[in-house]
Amino acid sequence: MGRYQGRNYWIELMMAFFVTTSIICVLEAIMGMLFAPDVQLSYKAFFVPPVFGAGSVLLGLVNYSRKELTIRQVLCRRAVHLVLVEGMVFGANFAVGAVFSRIESVALAISIAVVFILVYGVLYLNDSWHAKQFNRELRRFQGCLQKAQ
Amino acid sequence: MKVEIRKILQKEKEQVVIECVEITPEIKDIRSYCLAKGKELSGVADECIFRFRLEDVYYFEAVDEKVFAYAKDKVYEVKMRLYEAEAAYRKYHFIRCSKSMVLNLMLLEGISPALNGRFLAHMKNGEKIIISRQYVPDLKQAVSLHP
Repeated sequence: MGRYQGRNYWIELMMAFFVTTSIICVLEAIMGMLFAPDVQLSYKAFFVPPVFGAGSVLLGLVNYSRKELTIRQVLCRRAVHLVLVEGMVFGANFAVGAVFSRIESVALAISIAVVFILVYGVLYLNDSWHAKQFNRELRRFQGCLQKAQ
Repeated sequence: MKVEIRKILQKEKEQVVIECVEITPEIKDIRSYCLAKGKELSGVADECIFRFRLEDVYYFEAVDEKVFAYAKDKVYEVKMRLYEAEAAYRKYHFIRCSKSMVLNLMLLEGISPALNGRFLAHMKNGEKIIISRQYVPDLKQAVSLHP
């Protein structure tokens, strides 16, 4: 009997990591072009999206539960996840001495929320695609057996 | 596949004969399907014991250490554990979809993703039940004719 907590769980985590990292890259580019278009960055900047991506996915373990959660409980945990991610990003920036204006802070907080929503959106679309594939197989499976009737 | 029906006079001699060159997974599934037809269970509903057909059961659910079979017209309490129902009826296309439910693939309309990260199973009677992510690979394997 296949258990989701095995291989599939790690595949899902890796997918979440790559989706998060990709979206962070795009958002950082947009934010940089808007707020600091003249800033020159070194190659070290390339590590920022995967580090934040990994951190976000690890913080996503707050969603893990042995018991089956209700929709309300899941949404609460996701809100906690978002708060933790916001804390991680702001905390990391303050740790390296970055100072933001009020507008920049709000823009950063909103962009983090946008990344968060987009990641779950992409994962939902992936689930939709898998569901459609399953439904196609299911119809074929049922049709094959009902021909015997 | 050619299908032929021959009428006979004696009910006791009713049978399905499958003539095939090779016993493929498809042929095995047809055999399981035919065996499931007419298989009956007994269960309690409204303090009475009823006989009902396995093929009419949408899903089995375990609640408070009791197992209920949700059929077309009624809900029956059956005297078995959920893991026993899962093992006994797996060959009749009953597959575990969550910790407390075993659903009938033949009465499943389709699945869709739910907002809480799980999936919803849409049964043919309009009911929706939750599928836990960990059981989705099993469902996929069950409907794949050539695993």
